Amino acid sequence: MGSHLMSVANHDAGGELRRIVRINEEIKKVVATAFKINLMAMNAIFLAKRAGQSALGFGVLSNELRRFAMDLQRQMETLRDATYGSVATVTTLVKQSRVDRVLERTRILCKGQGRQSVEQRILTRQSSDDGHLRKVAALNRRLSQLIADTVQLVELGSVLARSAKIEAAYGGGFSSALMQVSSDFEQTISEIQSSLDNLTKHQAREFAA
Amino acid sequence: MKTAQTIYEEGSHKWLAIVRDATRPGYLIDTNEYLITVGDDAILLDPGGSEIFPAVFSALSTQFDPRRLDKVFASHQDPDIASSLSMWLEFNPSVKCYVSWLWASFVPHFGGQADTFIPIPDSGMDILVGGQRLQAVPAHYLHSSGNFHLYDPKAKILFSGDVGAALLPADETGLFVENFDRHIRHAEGFHRRWMGSDRAKRDWCARVAAMDIDMLCPQHGAIYQGEDVKRFIDWFANLEVGVLKS
Repeated sequence: MGSHLMSVANHDAGGELRRIVRINEEIKKVVATAFKINLMAMNAIFLAKRAGQSALGFGVLSNELRRFAMDLQRQMETLRDATYGSVATVTTLVKQSRVDRVLERTRILCKGQGRQSVEQRILTRQSSDDGHLRKVAALNRRLSQLIADTVQLVELGSVLARSAKIEAAYGGGFSSALMQVSSDFEQTISEIQSSLDNLTKHQAREFAA
Repeated sequence: MKTAQTIYEEGSHKWLAIVRDATRPGYLIDTNEYLITVGDDAILLDPGGSEIFPAVFSALSTQFDPRRLDKVFASHQDPDIASSLSMWLEFNPSVKCYVSWLWASFVPHFGGQADTFIPIPDSGMDILVGGQRLQAVPAHYLHSSGNFHLYDPKAKILFSGDVGAALLPADETGLFVENFDRHIRHAEGFHRRWMGSDRAKRDWCARVAAMDIDMLCPQHGAIYQGEDVKRFIDWFANLEVGVLKS
């Protein structure tokens, strides 16, 4: 009876909480970098304006990169909201899991009427525990989807940065300055991709566990 | 595992001491819990920490249906006193917890809702259990700033929380104090350090000396009975408290 009833107790609720914290830390890194890209894109727009006719293509791409940075910031806000919401759910899971473990220890110690009372209580808790585990699974699916959407968005940013590098070559006298800016874009977006890789790995590992 | 031992019985009026958990991990302080039953009604005094809930519950359930327990008394706010509250509420969500008004918004961090708590005013109050009137007796600053003991005038038993507590060696497992002079050595350091106010101590000793007490039941260690009750009060009255070292 015990093993069937202790699904939440056996669930690594503490591990869930640590995972949410890790995701949140990675999100903070990406948010900071997205803000940096936004500023870099604004500078690139001014530079393209100064370069004039020869940097028209670079100017268009800088505008797109700025839009990308703002989209990324919004996406990360959504991801952060989702993880904040998860903290409440997972904290409840941690508490339930603790109560379940104490109840199981009580069940083992008790005999007769006391044991019956504990078993009844454990059964009653089962439906609420199942509901919580389903909620955590749904949160995990949503987080995975949001991370996958972000990876796709950043892939677009990476393409924009590469195109900006190509356009920089046509920048005439501003070419080296534009090249420097577009290389910075590429480097920064690569940092974001590395953070997202970490996020995807954490998520995949926890799901596998 | 703890056992529930009857220390008073007259008709349906009983006091059970839930004591001595040999399987308790050494890093947890040992505690005594007391259940007063009058007919079908009961109150659990200092229900204990959540870590020892299984031992307390199983011992209690040998003598009383735990689902019928609807009153607990918390002498103060410490985790070894009341952190099991959420577990008792699992079995009966309408359990009421009597606790000093001072802690009525702190103890809910262990569990319960607004209507779980019955705040006890500083002057104390009566608590009815199965028609029997029990008295919450002020013991503020001994050691907690909002602290109560519980007196049963019919049984002539005073539950004295941390007052009278002794940190006994593992081989001293007696339920009652057998040799006061030997026993009190295990209580001295505890009282010097934990009881912070000499004035509060003197007030308590004067109040309790005027009461008719056959047994003084602390939350840790052995129970004082008969002449040892007076011996303890006199000893405590003369003890210097609120000191870091003896």
